[in-house]
Amino acid sequence: MDEQDLISRSKSGDVEAFNLLVEQYQRMVYNLALRMLGNAEAAEDASQDTFISAYKAIGKFRGGSFKSWVLRIAANSCHDKLRVARRYRVVSLDTLLLETDELPQANNNESPEDYALRCELGRFLNEGLTHLPEDQRLVVILSDVQGLSYEEVAQATGSSLGTVKSRLNRGRTRLRDFLLQREELLPSKFRLNK
Amino acid sequence: MFRAKGEPLCRKVRGMLSEYIDNGLDSENKSLVERHLETCEACSKELESLRMTVQLLHRVAEVPAPRSFTVIVPEPRREGAFGPASMRWLRPATAIVAIALVVLLMGDFLHGFENNAGVNHGPGNVTVSGSGFQLAPSSVAAEQQTWVAVPGVMGEMSLATAKAVGYTDYTVVPSPPVSQPIAQPIPIVLGNEGPTGAQVTVGGEGGVGWPLRQTEIGLGAAVFVLLGLMIYARRQRRKKVGAR
Repeated sequence: MDEQDLISRSKSGDVEAFNLLVEQYQRMVYNLALRMLGNAEAAEDASQDTFISAYKAIGKFRGGSFKSWVLRIAANSCHDKLRVARRYRVVSLDTLLLETDELPQANNNESPEDYALRCELGRFLNEGLTHLPEDQRLVVILSDVQGLSYEEVAQATGSSLGTVKSRLNRGRTRLRDFLLQREELLPSKFRLNK
Repeated sequence: MFRAKGEPLCRKVRGMLSEYIDNGLDSENKSLVERHLETCEACSKELESLRMTVQLLHRVAEVPAPRSFTVIVPEPRREGAFGPASMRWLRPATAIVAIALVVLLMGDFLHGFENNAGVNHGPGNVTVSGSGFQLAPSSVAAEQQTWVAVPGVMGEMSLATAKAVGYTDYTVVPSPPVSQPIAQPIPIVLGNEGPTGAQVTVGGEGGVGWPLRQTEIGLGAAVFVLLGLMIYARRQRRKKVGAR
């Protein structure tokens, strides 16, 4: 069954059809929330909120990219969580990263050393991402981690194409500076100044 | 890190490097960047470090979702159950009761204000003493319903009776007997016909009888109950869609 059909059935109240869409996009939404919030528990909450909000609002979906639409809801959900965390200082963004115990799946053709290196690199980059301003972090994650095009990023963030390019440029530069400042902590294989 | 030396062209090129990495530049800007990179080592290093950063970000692996985020819609409530659907009448009902309460309270306030106008009174029972006043001539009915105490006489009597007997020294009791509630307050005006030597005490409730107070309290309670039901109904509606 194709996506448009699932969307049409979801609009008419078919929750099973909607849940097929959820299964298709939940990994992407969860990963966005995890990189944005840096905390597995908060990312689960944000992901669940995203799909509940999407189900309630599916009638307002007017076509276009469903992926961008869901990611936009997810981004708003993450902003809400960060706003609440800032207001009540429930968790510090600097310590959120330490609570991320999610590990990527190992590839079949990957040695244990390479897998360990990749995990270390992932943790390091996550820490770098949490040091970016929210708007730049969102654009960098969507574009460079999740591989969305500029147009999809613009739809998912509700920004213009020019704004996306500008935020991406500043976000990458800032992240590059973060990595260079802590280069001795980076696995030698991945150092920027070789 | 690789600082531009303040040259406008370096700054312009660095602003386009991110897009250059993504092959997003048009041919004109692309050739501009490439020509500049051939001659500027700092910008070349900037490009390489940015490109490495992007490559590192591409290597960040996705983690699997720890659980399913599918949604569940609970079964519809059974007939006759107290649910959000049966709450449609709540909002107008609450509005009507609240408006009625406000109208009553305003009427109560204005009524009391009119009755007490011109009479100097404190927060409790009001005492107007001395001379220079009389009951309004048009208040014969009120005189019959106004109860007074006469010094040296047991019990109370109506003001009309006291006048008929010829008592001039009497005190209006603050509240009438329970069996005869006063529907209308006692109108009192200041007169200029000379001293009468009487002392008049008027109840300080602005002439409001007990049933009115009871109605106001009842309506206030009804507003609170209806507001509570509205909050409950709203929460029920939010629970309608949830996580599996």
